[in-house]
Amino acid sequence: MRKGVTIFLLFLSSAVLAQPQGFNKVSDVTAFRSSLAKANDKVQNITSDFKQVKNISLLEEKINSNGKFYLKKPDKVRIEYTQPFKYIIVMNGNKIRIEDEGKSSTVNTGKMMQSINRVMTDCMQGTVFTNPDFKVEVYKNNKQYLLSLSPVNSTMKNLFQQIDVYMNNSSYDVEKLIMTEKGGDYTLMDFYNTRHNTSMNETVFKVR
Amino acid sequence: MKQFLRYASILLLLTGMSCSSPYKGLQQQEMGVSAYRFKPDVNKVIYRAIVDGRFVFKQFHLSGLLIIKQLESGTIRAVYQNELGPTLFDFEWNEQYDFEVKQIMEQLDKEAVIKTLRKDIEMLLMIGLKENSEILLTSGRGKKQFNRFNIEGGYVYYISNDGELSQIENANNRKRIVTVNIHDKEADSVMPEKVFIEHHKANFTISLTKL
Repeated sequence: MRKGVTIFLLFLSSAVLAQPQGFNKVSDVTAFRSSLAKANDKVQNITSDFKQVKNISLLEEKINSNGKFYLKKPDKVRIEYTQPFKYIIVMNGNKIRIEDEGKSSTVNTGKMMQSINRVMTDCMQGTVFTNPDFKVEVYKNNKQYLLSLSPVNSTMKNLFQQIDVYMNNSSYDVEKLIMTEKGGDYTLMDFYNTRHNTSMNETVFKVR
Repeated sequence: MKQFLRYASILLLLTGMSCSSPYKGLQQQEMGVSAYRFKPDVNKVIYRAIVDGRFVFKQFHLSGLLIIKQLESGTIRAVYQNELGPTLFDFEWNEQYDFEVKQIMEQLDKEAVIKTLRKDIEMLLMIGLKENSEILLTSGRGKKQFNRFNIEGGYVYYISNDGELSQIENANNRKRIVTVNIHDKEADSVMPEKVFIEHHKANFTISLTKL
């Protein structure tokens, strides 16, 4: 009997530990998905500022950068780093254009960049549930939803241990994205000044 | 026939010239100060690193941060991470400079790629050189000095002008394989502000700029 109680308590504590602090698991995921899809149907494009923090175990200090993020449905992404270096990456279908220190080059996307592109667009436009590379758990508190993505195949497992997407619980805008690698290093992106459906010049996604 | 022989001999001469060592005209001198004065104290350095190249008509580009750090144990780590997160490679050299790949992205996980990247970093950090093999060569009335070390399959030249390290080159008996251009090395023991690595055979470049 005592052994049974111990096992039950161990199970309970591991279940609590698995749950992100300050968040409760959403029981009706279908309803959440439907609300998310409804909100995202109205969004054709997104622009946002971001602050990025890289936490690398090898370093005591964090590496900070910031820039601008653009997305146009279904698969066009532009990430424009402005500080501490100027670097633009445009992902459009299977092509990537890079502008680095004024030098521009167009390359075919490798598997890694395709995966990152897909997961970024899925996270930002709320289509993560359709991404076959990840299992998604949904949590919420009184301010945000947290979508916790765990990779299910070896390619993704080599890149990420977990991706956490924090969404505003009324607008469904992504406010924070944490990409954690298998070694524990992570990249955190805080999105702010997010706007939808602004007039966006198609040239920002030009890859040629 | 005569004309053919003339063309053939010119061709042979040109072929011979292109295969001769690019360091052929250098004069060996008595060994003075060792190039080890240029060996940098790694401590910690963060570079923004851009790799550009072409492989079978396909252009490729990688970019991210290259962190080189010496831990308290003496172990050296070189970690290259993409801006958006994933680690492209994580190399380690222990106190005895034994090399280990801690992590590498699937697409880079090829013996030739690892060997090339490892050699580039080792040349910069001046590790893996056969210490007792160092000789001094000079050109231009001794102004330009070439401290040559043997490594597996060739040589590494530390080229200095007026006592300042300007280039590192890896070559075999016939040609240059890699040229490392050093810019703004503030002191002998400091890692340079900028580095440009050109792979002549493998057709790719690595550009490093200190953050």
